[in-house]
Amino acid sequence: MQEVLITGVGAISHLGHGADAFWHGLLRAESSPGEVADPHARMSVPLMYSVPEQPLPEISSDGDFDGGGVPPGLASRYAIEGARQALADAGLGEVPAERTAVVIGTGMGDSGLHERWRTDGRPDADGEWAPVFSVASALGAWLGAEGPVSSISNACAASGFGLSAAADLIRTGVADVVVAGGAEAYSRVALACFNRLGAIDPERCRPFDARRAGTVFGEGAGIMILESAEHARARSAPRVYAELAGEGWSCDAHHATAPEPAGTQIVRAMRAALEQAGASAEEVGCVVPHGTGTELNDVVESGALHTVLGERAARTPLYSLKALVGHTGGAAAALGTVAAALMLHHRKVPPNRPVAELDPQCRVRLPESEVPLEGRFALVNAYAFGGNNVSLVLKEARA
Amino acid sequence: MTARPYDSGELVVSGIGVVTPWTDQPEKAALADRPAVPGQWFDHRTRLGPRGYKYLPPASQFFLAAAKYALADSDDDPARHAAERRGAAVGTNSSAVALHDSMDRTVLEESAAALSPASAPYFSINLFGSRLATEHGLKGFNLTLTTPRVAGLESLETGARAVAAGRASWLLAGATEEALPEGLPGHERSERGAAALVLEPAGAVRARGGRVYGGCRVSSHFLAPAVAASAEGPERARRLIARGVAGAGFDGTGTGSGSGAAGVLRVIAVVDESAVGRAVASAAGPGATLVAAGAGALEPLLQVAGALAELTAPVLVVATAPGGNLSLALLTPPAGQDGR
Repeated sequence: MQEVLITGVGAISHLGHGADAFWHGLLRAESSPGEVADPHARMSVPLMYSVPEQPLPEISSDGDFDGGGVPPGLASRYAIEGARQALADAGLGEVPAERTAVVIGTGMGDSGLHERWRTDGRPDADGEWAPVFSVASALGAWLGAEGPVSSISNACAASGFGLSAAADLIRTGVADVVVAGGAEAYSRVALACFNRLGAIDPERCRPFDARRAGTVFGEGAGIMILESAEHARARSAPRVYAELAGEGWSCDAHHATAPEPAGTQIVRAMRAALEQAGASAEEVGCVVPHGTGTELNDVVESGALHTVLGERAARTPLYSLKALVGHTGGAAAALGTVAAALMLHHRKVPPNRPVAELDPQCRVRLPESEVPLEGRFALVNAYAFGGNNVSLVLKEARA
Repeated sequence: MTARPYDSGELVVSGIGVVTPWTDQPEKAALADRPAVPGQWFDHRTRLGPRGYKYLPPASQFFLAAAKYALADSDDDPARHAAERRGAAVGTNSSAVALHDSMDRTVLEESAAALSPASAPYFSINLFGSRLATEHGLKGFNLTLTTPRVAGLESLETGARAVAAGRASWLLAGATEEALPEGLPGHERSERGAAALVLEPAGAVRARGGRVYGGCRVSSHFLAPAVAASAEGPERARRLIARGVAGAGFDGTGTGSGSGAAGVLRVIAVVDESAVGRAVASAAGPGATLVAAGAGALEPLLQVAGALAELTAPVLVVATAPGGNLSLALLTPPAGQDGR
């Protein structure tokens, strides 16, 4: 079976543009959410970890980009910019278009564009149907891919399933290269609904903190170049961050929004991913948890980690990414995977943003100082409304 | 002309369920003749049950009903496959558009506090298929695909690939859509309804004496709109279709001189007037049946369901989106019914 390597990374987040900005932001471990710029955000907690203002490449039908009459919204532009970064990082030259695929996870697609049309009017009011979930297609058109170009929308786990589906494309010989990851931009509807559900922390995103009061959304994109080992070796790829070595999927089939309290299916997904990767608990050097800051999720995930990792659970460092960049929804698993790949690459776990008071029900280790990475594997978890669970295991690899 | 036979482990379709405003019969739902129907054509109480469905959005109700019919059609017995071995995948583009529109107007005119707490979770489009998993105990996986127009076909493709990877051994896949709000571009081409297919390993269906409608192999490709609009657009589309057909195990390309990229296959092409649609229609050849695409991912699934319901020879269903997506579903009848 083909090994699936991560040979290029791109990241856009509250920490800035580019994988370097992302990594240095992780090392600084400082951030705070702000009020969204939308004057129409009529809600009690309009907080978000927004992407800082910085010019994105102009992508319009007036230029080289032709999306078939579907205008690219902000999520599409994040995805394209992330892909541009990842492709440059991978040093990828000419790849046959029919061997190149795209898989993007996104929970809200380009909803923000449609929301803007509601307040500002649509420039081409007599235009064509504009599907909301056109992020992957916009990227496919920009890239000129001819392989599958797919959009997966399993909410906050979307890009975890997307990366896994992308790996399946390589393992089954459908593609040699997949531009894969997730993208999410501000959506007034999503933030309003989370406000209505009382699920937004008015202070900041505080996973595993005893005083956490919900999550705080973030926006951004994590895009990676997944490549078959054969293809990467043949072209002498300049760098390999990690191997995507195992993925586990499951569904709670329990409740629309709440995780199943025993975490049975969460455990199953983690175990499946570790087994496929050939990783023992002792070899897991770091976990990037789903850890959203919602009360039950953090408790259930902590318990599940103890079930899976046993006595190692209390000693294995967690890297709580959402505490720094917020909950980036459909992009969360992809940004978590970028973080894990960078940790394997740099052989260290960045300092966590300090937790004021660790929830005694969450017996996890969140180092507040940088620690060396011990172990060849990193585990990334992502869970979503609908009880959708996915775990990814990355394995140390070199060019 | 031959189609690669499916082995005992390959998924075949053992159940079909369709819900549309004009009929629930798969072969009729796919036909072009679609009579006008009243707005309130779907009663969740009679379709699903007297309690527990009132607050589900319409597209969620449609999919539950289609799934219910497909499960009954396949003579489903949950005891045959453990809950962890049963997976689901649903494709949708427009299920949440009307709901989002309504929610956003509430926020704009009042505030988030005026939103209904019962419907608030449905801002997330994957919830439209989640009740299915809860109701039928599907714990393998529950994917939501949203690729424009081809998401339903991709639910079959990605779901089958996940089964082949060992993530489940049984699959329920389909598409569901709800009408776009009036005044929105594309409203006139709105889709309403759902289609669901049950897929099981061929050997398992045969062993229990169940009905096999046929095999369904889906492959997806991409034809960038700029390429489609160029002079070489139809030829590029032809090559993609030929590659997909060959990859799905059908050897017949070129034997039907002048009949298009898929050779002698019967072709149903779900296309629109976009550059991609025109290129694919041209590539499909003059013998292809062209079906007008809707504003969603349902029509290709209706065509698949309709063709499967009366399948006696291989059929290729092609679907495209203006943004460049192109998916092919090669449907092959059970052994002995394909003219070999």
